[in-house]
Amino acid sequence: MLKFLFRFGTPLLGVGCLIMLALIVTNREWPTELLNAANLQSFKILFISIILEAFPFILLGVLFSALLQVFVTDELIQKFTPKNPIAGVLFGALLGILFPLCECGMIPVVRRLIRKGMPAYIGIVYLLAGPIVNPIVYASTFTAFRTKPEMAYSRMGLAFAIAVIVGLLLYKFMKKSPLKATPALHMAHHGHSHSHDHGAHHKGFKGRVASILSHASDEFFEMGKYLIFGALLTAVIQSVIDRNTLAAFADQPVFSYIFMMGFAFILSICSTSDAFIASSFSGMFDFGPLLAFLVFGPMIDLKNTLMLLTTFRVKFVLILIALTAALTFIGAVITEALL
Amino acid sequence: MIHHLIRAAILTGFAMFIVYLDRTGEMMLYIAPRMELYVKLSALGLYAAAIYQIYAALQKRMGKQAPDCDCEHEPSPSIIKNVLIYGLFVFPLLLGFLIPTGTLGSALASKKGMSLSGSASIERTDNTASPELDPSESQGLNADADTKAAAQSPSKEENAKAESGIDALFPYDEYTETHAAYGKKLYEQALISVPEKQFIETLTTLDLYREAFIGKEVEITGFVYREEDMGKERLAISRFAMNCCSADALPYGLMIIWPKALDYVEDEWVTVKGTLTTSTYMDNEIITLDAIKMERVKAPESPYVYPDLDFGL
Repeated sequence: MLKFLFRFGTPLLGVGCLIMLALIVTNREWPTELLNAANLQSFKILFISIILEAFPFILLGVLFSALLQVFVTDELIQKFTPKNPIAGVLFGALLGILFPLCECGMIPVVRRLIRKGMPAYIGIVYLLAGPIVNPIVYASTFTAFRTKPEMAYSRMGLAFAIAVIVGLLLYKFMKKSPLKATPALHMAHHGHSHSHDHGAHHKGFKGRVASILSHASDEFFEMGKYLIFGALLTAVIQSVIDRNTLAAFADQPVFSYIFMMGFAFILSICSTSDAFIASSFSGMFDFGPLLAFLVFGPMIDLKNTLMLLTTFRVKFVLILIALTAALTFIGAVITEALL
Repeated sequence: MIHHLIRAAILTGFAMFIVYLDRTGEMMLYIAPRMELYVKLSALGLYAAAIYQIYAALQKRMGKQAPDCDCEHEPSPSIIKNVLIYGLFVFPLLLGFLIPTGTLGSALASKKGMSLSGSASIERTDNTASPELDPSESQGLNADADTKAAAQSPSKEENAKAESGIDALFPYDEYTETHAAYGKKLYEQALISVPEKQFIETLTTLDLYREAFIGKEVEITGFVYREEDMGKERLAISRFAMNCCSADALPYGLMIIWPKALDYVEDEWVTVKGTLTTSTYMDNEIITLDAIKMERVKAPESPYVYPDLDFGL
């Protein structure tokens, strides 16, 4: 333990000191007007409030996913997979209601499901719809857009529609397995690329509780780093960049959609908390671009693209991203026009 | 094992931070009251996870494999990566504990864009009345502006015209029905005080039925907000309206005309009493308060206002 302390203690302390030094220096004299004390204050409040707000939802999601990983075997899910393609696609799109995993927890599960014989297109449909069409995300969207409940409905509806369309297209046109030929299971030492074989070694109640807590707290850290990074970026953008700069994008009829989708891609926030981010932009952007943000973000974003690339073939990932982006754009424009 | 301890420390840190915010009452600066319970509950979850991490660390110390199966999400072996990741978690904690907390003010309001005409979701159909109202007439503070406006504003529903005076003043459609009812209630008051509880709703109603309210006395409390274009004689009295957390807070305000507006610095809290009129700002006709009395007040306990979700229920 001492060895570890020496090894990690110094750099950690160093970083702590650097951050504190930076804060002390910057608090006294900001180089430019952009970064004055008032902006730092707004940044701090925004940054921490996004994190605090997301905590209950992230913890809930993480706990649920841990419960599933410990108590529900993949075989069980596989057993209930329908053989008919249309039924299968619908099943995949609604699977999230039963098993509300976050997008990060989703990729390893989906990959294993495909390996174990679940049709790939159903897995992909679950991958796309699961992070949105589920009760936890519905609740958080509804809470964030309390004065605009139609946002929650159209988010669910549009995500469901897009996932089904992508699934049917994949069923029709996808000939070979989308998985990488040589599975980079343990080659790339990625946080998510471990096999989750459970059910085999559960020794009673105590073991299970420990296992749930272990999964939940590990996953909390995996999700947390993307959440904090997303909150950081959002807080900086909101407290430093003038509204007029963003409004220039917001006023463009077509570009505002693309901008919000790109924004969702970069932010990579968990789908349980992104509704709160979106609602903070509701004074600026119209319904349509916000919907595009809420639908595209959980399906495809920076962090899950990285994770997809460790699992699926590059060409397949690119096609999937392009297809999803195009459908989200069209769907959001149509929804905006209808409402 | 060191990872378990670091993680335990971070988890405990966040849980303590939530408790600290609750004890000092700073929680309301960050999140809306109706979310506070959930955040406090999540502190419990964080404690539980922290305790598990310490337990796992002890298990490892005693040479036992922690009972967390073989699929443990191993932390990255790279030191730099770990420092960066844990630094990311420590950063908000340092920020939260070490930097004194202020409140959101003018700086952010200008970034977010002040709304000077109530809620944007309820839009005033500008073609109903404003073109027909002479600018000279709308500037007029005489009480009979009410009746003139009433006579001129063509109600959307034909039958509304036939109804008695007050109903004609508040034409409504399915979206503004509540505001019309609220407007009638306000209309009977001698002094319309913009309350904290229905701040946005009141401003929206005043804006929506401005013809009826012109000449009425209105009182409002908020912080001073100023834009360059406002010049020497105008400022806005504003509040941040928060939905869930301060990230979604948006500023709402009311334009004030006061000859010595420059005496008040930004973010100062004031109560203003004046008569309602309209003025043109950035090519938009907005409701404006011609101030009679202005006084500095102590900042209220909660700087925010919240949308009243029971409004109209």
